[in-house]
Amino acid sequence: MRRYLWRKLGGFILTALLVSFATFFILQVLPGDPARLMLGTEGSPEAYARLRRELGLDGPLVVRYLQWFSNFIRGQWGNSWRYSLPVGELVRQAFPLSFALALSAVGTAVLTALPAGMYMAARPRSFSSRLLSMGTQLGLGLPQFWVGLLLIQLFAVQLRVLPSGGSGQWGSLILPTVTLALPRTAVLSRFLRAGMLEALEQDYVRTAKAKGVPQIRVFFKHALRNGALGGVTAAGVQFAQLLAGTIVVEQVFGLPGIGQLLLAGVFQRDLPLVQTVVMLVVLLILVFDLALDLCLGLLDPRIRYD
Amino acid sequence: MWKQMSRMAVFFLLIFALGSLAAAQVLNIAIPQDPDSFDPIQTVAAATSEVAFNIYEGLVKATPDGGVEGALATHWTVDQGGTKYTFYLREAYFHDGRPVRAADVVNSLNRARDPELAVRAGELSMIKEIRELEKAVEIELHEPHGAFIYALTEIYASIYPEGAEGLSRQPIGTGPYYLSEWRPNQHLELSRFDQHWSGQKPYFQQAVFLIIPDENSMVLNLKAGRVQLIPRLEVSVLHQVQGNAGIKVQASPMNLVQLFAVNNARPPFDDLRVRRALALGLNREEILLGAAWGEGAILDSALSPAMAGFYNNNLSDVNPYDPKRAKELLREAGQEGLRFTLTLPANYPLHVQTGELAAQQWEQLGLEVDLEIVEWGTWLERVYTQRDYDVSIIGLAGRLDPHAILVRYTTGNSRNFFNFSNSRYDELIELGLRAEGEERRAIYLEAQEILARELPGVFVMDPPQLAAMEEGIQGWLSYPTYVVDVAALYK
Repeated sequence: MRRYLWRKLGGFILTALLVSFATFFILQVLPGDPARLMLGTEGSPEAYARLRRELGLDGPLVVRYLQWFSNFIRGQWGNSWRYSLPVGELVRQAFPLSFALALSAVGTAVLTALPAGMYMAARPRSFSSRLLSMGTQLGLGLPQFWVGLLLIQLFAVQLRVLPSGGSGQWGSLILPTVTLALPRTAVLSRFLRAGMLEALEQDYVRTAKAKGVPQIRVFFKHALRNGALGGVTAAGVQFAQLLAGTIVVEQVFGLPGIGQLLLAGVFQRDLPLVQTVVMLVVLLILVFDLALDLCLGLLDPRIRYD
Repeated sequence: MWKQMSRMAVFFLLIFALGSLAAAQVLNIAIPQDPDSFDPIQTVAAATSEVAFNIYEGLVKATPDGGVEGALATHWTVDQGGTKYTFYLREAYFHDGRPVRAADVVNSLNRARDPELAVRAGELSMIKEIRELEKAVEIELHEPHGAFIYALTEIYASIYPEGAEGLSRQPIGTGPYYLSEWRPNQHLELSRFDQHWSGQKPYFQQAVFLIIPDENSMVLNLKAGRVQLIPRLEVSVLHQVQGNAGIKVQASPMNLVQLFAVNNARPPFDDLRVRRALALGLNREEILLGAAWGEGAILDSALSPAMAGFYNNNLSDVNPYDPKRAKELLREAGQEGLRFTLTLPANYPLHVQTGELAAQQWEQLGLEVDLEIVEWGTWLERVYTQRDYDVSIIGLAGRLDPHAILVRYTTGNSRNFFNFSNSRYDELIELGLRAEGEERRAIYLEAQEILARELPGVFVMDPPQLAAMEEGIQGWLSYPTYVVDVAALYK
């Protein structure tokens, strides 16, 4: 167990370093100069030169990287160029929303996928199972921005029961949650169905059946624990992905989450903002990943940590 | 018991009435992105001046018809030589309660023309000295300058208290509204400033600018009643609001010059015949219909009809759609079958669409057009700065004064990314600064004609500015500059 943790930690640090390196240098190589973008089509050469100096863009690349990295570790994330606000504060404003959205979307997906997936596994050849399966296909295939717009049209414009966008109001997260949950439900229920079908064919299930354990108990106790493993991993990955923001859905619903922040930052080449946010998201995902690994161990004793 | 209940009822009714009253006085406005900075001498984004117009004021301000009227100055005088302006200040207060003093004006304008501090200092370089007088300010110019008074309407000439800090997030101005809250990517809340010098209280107590990046969502938000005004509706979603009960659209010229920039320094585009062929081969009527739903105005030169006082309306015959003549010109220049790259900025759907239509039309002349769609940062870097392109497309934002618009086509100007050069044109732009009245007008008419004939690029259109709003909203004013005048609106 300890060796496992050490190995994990090593991988953790290495990944973090690599990512910090990659984000820093990719942003540098991208065409598009931050100072130029801030000045637009009206800037003079003098203003441009001065701005570059102010932003500290004229130093050598490696020095700037080391400087940024050491500041990052010490928690000095600097000011966003785009918003002239501390990056930490921008993240603090955007993160709770992204977190709430990720939680509600994946939560909804899990709660819907669980019965749907199990039903499809229990009655694989029934008509309603096929209908559900078709539904999941649809959920996977529909583009999110379109679903989002459709939901706004229906619930906010026609029925006027839910807000058409923004955050902080009652019910403002319902439509984004549904939009995000739809494809995720589809994925999870398919994972669950496949996992359950596989588990139901295992020897230990047959043994349980043979020794007279009631059907229902076999299904929920013996098979589910194994059959759900794939689904749990998938849900974990989905959650981590959503923490990094959902650009499309945030745009459609006008939600000020991490995705919008990052997108605005990338378009403006707001280096302090983008680098810090990407780093934070990566660290979060790594931590989450570690936690997920440990959780899976609890579910499946076969996973050993040595 | 009854008494108590009726008292309760009255109480609730009162609350309800007050609530609906308060709700009626908030105006929600949809904009696609945050302003950059409210520091008047640092900002360059149009998205900022649109909002800041309500917060800051200068000595003078723009009027909807393109004129200039007093703001913090009641009136002004110019001496015989045309170089000494005296502005007489009115009694006014800043949002923080301090009175506006001549010293504040001197400080603000001196900072705005200091190249060490201000991004656009060059635009006030005609100023020689600013002197503080008793309740007045005297500004001396190096020489007479026709564009000076218009420059004072720009956001960089805004007046703020001397010694004010942190303006980029906390602007302190004298305008009819002050910024009461700003949540990035979410909203900007403007509240009415009741001590505004005009003594008039605008109808809306609060104006909330909501950030909604997606244009389809903007429309749905308007239909759902979450916003009451979209100042700049994308032309591509116009059909979604047209014919909608309860929503009206007011169209006006945007005073934006959309043109295909042609790299005049790069062969074969250094040959006027090739540039002319591109112009003659362009069916702008068709483009207007295809890309802008038939709204907007066709342009023949670098000024929009919105610049009524200076617009040359005799140029429509210079480059009519004539594919036959275009082909002849290409043959004469030995450039039949020319292959070139057309670079389009991805963040402007209108420009991309215009470019795609133009490419089809040019291909009918036998030309080969490679479309290249690039992101805005790349466009600024490659096309605008390095001038490494064949043909591209862009919209150049309008200003109040023709000089500010036309000067970018002069030889050697840092913003002349067309690499255009014409000595007579350069001369005219110089002369225009010293001339006045009818003489000045004649100079700019000739300058426009040169641009139409010599073609730094192919002028296309002034796209429509479409303001979509709830039926009940009244008082919308369209300006030749990028502003939303909240104080004029009522319900």
